[in-house]
Amino acid sequence: MLLPDHQYLCADSLQACLKTLRESGERTHVVAGGTDVIFNMRLRLFQPDIALSIRRVAEIQQVEELPDGSLRIGAGCRLVDLAENPVINERYPAFADSIRAVASTHIRNIATLGGNICLKTRCWYTNNSEQWRQGVKECFKTDGDLCHVIKSSSLCHAINNADTPLPLIVLGAVLTLQREGGSRDVPIAEFYQKDGMDHTVLEADELVTHVTLPPCADRTVFLKIAARKGMDFSQAAIAGRASGTGSQAGEVRLVLGSISMAPIVLHEPARLIAEQGITDAAIEQAEEKVRAELGELTSLYARAGYKAHLAKILVRRALKALREM
Amino acid sequence: MPPEIKPQVPKDNPGLTVVGQRQPRLDGADKVSGRSVFTDDVVLPGMLYGKILRSTHAHARIKRLDTSKAEALPGVKAVVTAAHATGMSANSTDSVAKASKRRTGKTIKLKTGEAIFADDVVTYIGEEVAAVAALDEATATKALELIEVEYEPLPAIMDSRRAVRPGAPQVNAEFPGNVWSQDIDNYGDPDTAFDEADFIMESKFEAGVTHNLYAEFHVALVDFSRPDKLKIWTPTQTSYLMQHSLAPAFGLSVNQVQIIHLNTGGAFSGRGAVRPHHYVAVLLSRETRRPVKVFSAGDEEFLIGRALGKNRYKTRVAADKDGTLRAFDMTCEMDGGAVGNEVGYFGWMAGLSNAWMFDLQGNRFQRKVILTNQRPNFLGHGGMMVSSNCAVQQLLAKVARSLDMDPMDLLLKNAVEQGHTGLSGEVFASCGLKECIETVRRESGWNDKYDKLPPYHGIGVAVGAMAAGAKGAFKHDTSAAMVRVGEDGLITVYTGIPDMGQGTHTTMAMIAAEVLGIDANDVQLVAGDTDLTPIDIGAFAQRGTITTGNAARNAAIDARDQLAKYAAEKLETSEDNLRFAHGRVSRVDDPEQSLPFKEVTWGTLNSMEGRFVMGRGFYNSPLPYGTTSWSFDAQVAEVIVDPETGQIDVLKVTVAHDLGRTINPLAVEGQIDGQVFSAMSQVIYEELVTDDGLFLNPSRLEYKMPRTYEMPEISHFMIETNDPYGPFGAKEVGEGPVVVAGAAIIAAVSNALGGTLMPEMPMTPMRVLKAIRASELEKSRSPSAA
Amino acid sequence: MAKHLISLTINGDTYEDLVVSDNQTLLDVIRGEVGLKGTKRGCTTGACGVCTVNDANGDAILSCMTHVLEWDGEAITTIEGLADTGDLDAIQKAFVHYGAVQCGSCTPGVIMSAKALLNAHPQPTEEQINEAMAGVLCRCTGHVKVKEAIRNAHRIEEVVSHAAGD
Repeated sequence: MLLPDHQYLCADSLQACLKTLRESGERTHVVAGGTDVIFNMRLRLFQPDIALSIRRVAEIQQVEELPDGSLRIGAGCRLVDLAENPVINERYPAFADSIRAVASTHIRNIATLGGNICLKTRCWYTNNSEQWRQGVKECFKTDGDLCHVIKSSSLCHAINNADTPLPLIVLGAVLTLQREGGSRDVPIAEFYQKDGMDHTVLEADELVTHVTLPPCADRTVFLKIAARKGMDFSQAAIAGRASGTGSQAGEVRLVLGSISMAPIVLHEPARLIAEQGITDAAIEQAEEKVRAELGELTSLYARAGYKAHLAKILVRRALKALREM
Repeated sequence: MPPEIKPQVPKDNPGLTVVGQRQPRLDGADKVSGRSVFTDDVVLPGMLYGKILRSTHAHARIKRLDTSKAEALPGVKAVVTAAHATGMSANSTDSVAKASKRRTGKTIKLKTGEAIFADDVVTYIGEEVAAVAALDEATATKALELIEVEYEPLPAIMDSRRAVRPGAPQVNAEFPGNVWSQDIDNYGDPDTAFDEADFIMESKFEAGVTHNLYAEFHVALVDFSRPDKLKIWTPTQTSYLMQHSLAPAFGLSVNQVQIIHLNTGGAFSGRGAVRPHHYVAVLLSRETRRPVKVFSAGDEEFLIGRALGKNRYKTRVAADKDGTLRAFDMTCEMDGGAVGNEVGYFGWMAGLSNAWMFDLQGNRFQRKVILTNQRPNFLGHGGMMVSSNCAVQQLLAKVARSLDMDPMDLLLKNAVEQGHTGLSGEVFASCGLKECIETVRRESGWNDKYDKLPPYHGIGVAVGAMAAGAKGAFKHDTSAAMVRVGEDGLITVYTGIPDMGQGTHTTMAMIAAEVLGIDANDVQLVAGDTDLTPIDIGAFAQRGTITTGNAARNAAIDARDQLAKYAAEKLETSEDNLRFAHGRVSRVDDPEQSLPFKEVTWGTLNSMEGRFVMGRGFYNSPLPYGTTSWSFDAQVAEVIVDPETGQIDVLKVTVAHDLGRTINPLAVEGQIDGQVFSAMSQVIYEELVTDDGLFLNPSRLEYKMPRTYEMPEISHFMIETNDPYGPFGAKEVGEGPVVVAGAAIIAAVSNALGGTLMPEMPMTPMRVLKAIRASELEKSRSPSAA
Repeated sequence: MAKHLISLTINGDTYEDLVVSDNQTLLDVIRGEVGLKGTKRGCTTGACGVCTVNDANGDAILSCMTHVLEWDGEAITTIEGLADTGDLDAIQKAFVHYGAVQCGSCTPGVIMSAKALLNAHPQPTEEQINEAMAGVLCRCTGHVKVKEAIRNAHRIEEVVSHAAGD
């Protein structure tokens, strides 16, 4: 099946790119690696008038070590390159793990970090062909006013399946969003919204240009559960972070992904561990607190009960892994 | 009793020079270099692109269908609907009904015919409603969008259980109560067996909706430019059935229909019949008198590929305390979808296949094909025998456990042997089942593992049998072959059988090479074009090796006899004193006296009388009532279950297959690998998730088959029992292993969970967790019953 | 939609002035305008891998998931380009020898994926093979002989001549 009619533009500089976004942001889609955009266009879920390629925008394809020890990564960097980057592997191993966990080698050869961070949410009521969708009523994502997954809801419940945001959140990464004549820094934890449709705060005239990771001396972990290895979106994933060593944990962060419309930052479980340390008893208590923070769960891609179950398993495994580090 | 038949070659030291060698496939170089042509690669001058508008409702009345806007779109050359297909039905199985009646004495209800387009009512999502042909794909797509359809939804029935209850919406007025067919097959004396047995055990089992997932999407390219000749390029398992269905529908004789099946990208029981979209493509080409290609994109493939529907099994086993199995009684409710199809026939086969392996007193199979508004169903890889065998073998493991018996011993105790006559009259002229069982027991380390593995680490065994060249399915069941000899010693084998990847063509070449005493690489194949090739019913029912193989052998023998005349003259001896081997023709009594094969061919063809050497051969089972040969198989699977996530890791599968004779070990290994993969996929991963008949996951991403990380270690053991009917003793390997692998894996998972029966496939993580909870509950109730 | 003229180097041949549209993917043009049919059309949504080609770095690229206009002036290799002297490449020979080909419809994509792996790691570990090949399906072989062929590609000449000598 062919892609729909549209215009392809290739920005040869960041400047040119931002100009186009200012002029026509509402009808434009940025194409980084293209794997997500082409997928959505092929299914006619999104039919932008303009596909704006940023492959020549050199400004967003660098990895720079900043004087304060932070690492600034261009959003246009390919996942395959970042996965092999020695600095990332040494200083941010959980982040490196999450990069390698994205899709398949084939996808990572062209996909970018920015693309994964901005990955569109997914739902099996929308992610099939246009012909297929003629058999279902329009939903929020397809200009309708209902959600097939939770029929009584006023929100779109499509799932955010991106893996790299999870460790980026526990690492406190900051995204640089640029528009023509301006830019803003948004902590990645604030970038996502719990809405399957408007799942990020990115405006139509903005581009995510950089991801800055502050230095991190803490233990971190990334775990992914998927039906098949090396290929699939997560059924559930977690990133964890703890200061200290052994069962002693000062600050603890836990973030779950692929369960809901946005990554879920766990509060009570993290607080419990920070308070009591990573003991078996504390882990058990933390698990009990997980379900309450997941919010309304859908049976999209996996049954709700199973998602809740996996969330607990991941919290347990992440904490145990941190304890071993 | 069947007529006495001598094997073609001795069991040991058969003196074979080509058969048994590892032969890389002859078209391998073409396939790895991208030269091999598949249907979608073909572009014909003036070719149009066809697209089909499909029903989006499971059950609805078509209130209005207006194609005028589509017709008016520039670039659109034809729009067709039911009006263009009046009286036509997609039906490839008329011949099946007749033969089955001859064989079993009763009519097994089969397809009654299926409309090409829905007329006033649609009965399943995906049913063909209209079609367009246009200059390019984009225009064809736009044209579909311009067709206006107004549906009036009708109550739909999606569950086969509810479909048979009073008051359920009716799918087809011809079948009140939505029961398309209902049969009971009794073999032997199951009633007495169940009455007299020491105990009875029973279980329930369910299998879900699937797709065959061949790599090449369905495509049909039709050229009906000439009204007296219909040409179709399409991947298929049977050009024969396609010809016989399409010819009468379009007022042509069979030989005016030319089927060209280039390379077929896998079939897995999914391409054994004509489908409405073939007819649609023909209609579009007839309307335009131009070639038309209809390619099914992405999720559309899941609507037209007909695999298995939801089957529900209830299995009962009657046994004695000493481990003697007396009888099976299986009831199967099959969801035939909206059309019914040949599902009942395959149900009948499943019932037979449950019992082939055992010396039983009785076997009963009760089947009901129920109509629903689901996608019509047909066959998965392994027919439905993967699931039926899963039901049976798990239950046998439970029987063994209850008797404190090792399942291996239970199987050995009851396993059939060579010469056994089965309950429906089958005679196993060759049978190595016991050797298969003993082989996998030994090679898998079973004795050190069964009941000795840690929790959640399980091992399971299963056995199976498969009819090779299952005769009785068709009006007549023959394969023919021709062998043309070139003066340069190059041989051409003509065969009508498709090679969907299983390597049949290379097998035919090896058989011909064996007979003529030459190298298989000096044989070329002409196949895939019904204008050029002789009759072959098709590549299903495991016919390739035994039926087509014997035909190729007979043709090669005929060619050899023609060459022998010349050679005998030259070597001054009689024709029966010649041996063709190693590229030479020599005197048996004085091997020093010999001629190069190429000299014999050249001499024969350039003789004064101008001889032309073309060997002809055909083969049809010599038994009046059916199949001659059965393969047998035993497998052990070892798994680890993650009790937290419910995921299953298959560590190792050990396979012993009695295939009669290994013609090409390289291809046999490949078949076994692929079938272990396929069975594993069916019992663990494959599940079409549906919402009222709507497939939610119709994609390669979300309808899952294992990839590289998931594959277990696989060991292959070929047991050669030298079947008297098979070519050089060979039977089949094309489908025997898949029906056992799934059962072995599910038995292993059951074992990993302490013997809890897994009631459903696929064994998704949630179902595994549920089974773990059930097993823990069972244990806590009666701790001694662990 | 506008038409554009691009140039594309495929298997060492430069196709100047290919007329393409904005909405065409690299796969569309390889099979269409250029007319090389070895690269196959499969799921067209990035999950099956049968459309895999190699870029100038020898990496595996899903040609259905990228605009052809991204490749203006670039060089790629398709299955037809592996055997540059007409003789089969080592990985191709290995696939034939080890029986890693059955129906063949995934084979071009599988081989180009394997070639990309071998470009980077001539003697890959099991983990590297699994990772590199997880993105492409093979329904007939179940990946088993595919992996065996990849494992042995580096020594295929020796293997084949040894087998011939028997």
